Amino acid sequence: MSSADAMPLTADVGGGAPRSRWLPGGYALLLVPACVVVGACLVVPLSYVLALGFNPPRPGTVELSDNLTVANYLRFLTTPFYWRVVGKTIYLSTVTTALCAILGIVLACSIWRTKPSRRGILLIIVLSPLLVSIVTRTFGWMVVLGDNGLINSLLMGLGLIRSPYPLMFNDGAVIVGLLHVFLPLMVIPVLASLERIDPSVPQAASTLGAGQLTIALRIVLPLASPGLVAGITIVFSLSMSSYVTPALMGGPDSGMITTLIYQQFVVTFNWQFGSVLVAMLLATSMTLVGLMFYEFGRRTRTWIIRRW
Amino acid sequence: MDNTTMVAAVQRHVFNALAWTLYGFLLAPLVCIAIVSFNYEPVQSFPPTTWSFRWYASALQNAAFVNAATASGILALCATLVATPLGVMAAMGLWRSQWRGKPFLEAFFISPIIVPGLVTGISLLVALAAIDVREATIRLLIGHVLIVMPYVVRTTMASLSQLDPSLQEAAETLGASSWKAFFLIILPLIRPGVVAGMVFGFILSFDDVNVSLFLVDARTVTLPISIMSYLQYSFDPSVAAISTMLIALTFAATVILERWFGLKRLFAGH
Repeated sequence: MSSADAMPLTADVGGGAPRSRWLPGGYALLLVPACVVVGACLVVPLSYVLALGFNPPRPGTVELSDNLTVANYLRFLTTPFYWRVVGKTIYLSTVTTALCAILGIVLACSIWRTKPSRRGILLIIVLSPLLVSIVTRTFGWMVVLGDNGLINSLLMGLGLIRSPYPLMFNDGAVIVGLLHVFLPLMVIPVLASLERIDPSVPQAASTLGAGQLTIALRIVLPLASPGLVAGITIVFSLSMSSYVTPALMGGPDSGMITTLIYQQFVVTFNWQFGSVLVAMLLATSMTLVGLMFYEFGRRTRTWIIRRW
Repeated sequence: MDNTTMVAAVQRHVFNALAWTLYGFLLAPLVCIAIVSFNYEPVQSFPPTTWSFRWYASALQNAAFVNAATASGILALCATLVATPLGVMAAMGLWRSQWRGKPFLEAFFISPIIVPGLVTGISLLVALAAIDVREATIRLLIGHVLIVMPYVVRTTMASLSQLDPSLQEAAETLGASSWKAFFLIILPLIRPGVVAGMVFGFILSFDDVNVSLFLVDARTVTLPISIMSYLQYSFDPSVAAISTMLIALTFAATVILERWFGLKRLFAGH
């Protein structure tokens, strides 16, 4: 990915002196530091980890050896427990993403339909969770869902239940937590693509006798789809790789792949096998992003790159 | 006719009720944290019977939290200061290049956001351990530069895309050096974008867990991670007090950002 072979600028700016030949190259040079940083600090380490997965497990060592083996991958593929973990991770992510998509559309439409003067405050409400640490947000849900938390206190105060109903440390809690974390990330792209819809299009449909629901489902939704696809991609891959919410709200063994990875790297020090789990996580989430990229073409691509 | 307006009205009311429920859902945990932080009792209970500031005092006297907050602040600041020049340079380079591979380069600069934070953290841990760098501060700084840089690139690109590329040439034709043209003309015009990227990157770096999780050590811990480990074995309102302070700070920053740049263009990850 060297940028030295960048083509000279073809855009000719009218008039002026003939441009020096070094200028285009000069601008290409500006790209070098960032390329080096991303390459050296992300691409190289990531490749190293992926390579480490092909070494036999030696707890505590990180050096690559020439002893190549697929034993780690075989262990992963032949152990039902790991399949269950991957299955559960995908299941929780799918449920979260589906709920996010539905509710995100509702929120985006509600912001879209309010007067511009009041939009700012609604946007701040929707985006505020993003700017609060995920730990804080998860803690907030612990306070809401806990045994003496808001919901249980309310229900017991109203005399509806005698003893606290266990709302924490189960799959439902993890989904609620993830939904809260990722809902804003769904609203943003959907809202952005709604705002590009020409308002006269739904009006025309209305004039021609379409009902509200028809307009929403058959005109607005298809037009908003690039944002929706981008949102689904983002939310799904982030859910797959979320750690804090499952670790704090799903109890010690929430059975998500990330908690398993954490165990391998921090508790058992089996870095070689951990690398295989990392590869699997990366493969699953990247496959999805890749599919979205190529399935939905250039518009979605720009969307994801510019608005992730 | 009456019937259809009835149906439409019902639809509208249901929709609005659902939307307001969702706004409540988004705000509920944050509001609850604030309420709990003023509760005198050590166990969280609703509604609090006695109000007090004592948890704020105990949070501010907790050496572990204070040190972690300082570490997080310094780390986020350093990461932002390193990442900003890199990001602005990259954005300028992308802006001026007509190269066919430009979208790929753009994707390459944004890739640290797309790769899961946990994976970034592990990769850095393993690769740096392999070349015998086990200093947590260095590991964290590298990881956090990767967190901040993509946002600076993106917001700067957003600002640049609204400029006329011939501005720079015009200045240069009139005899300014490239540097002078950049600092006197381009930079003042794109300042909102650069600042927004810096502020946003700072917040994300300060709040990060996924990347830092594997890079901290016993002596250097960031605030979110120290809160998280605290939560895993105890549960008192001092965490709520810290969280409330953080929420207040980030809300202030958010309002300023919205005024300055318009939040919608920041498109966050976490």
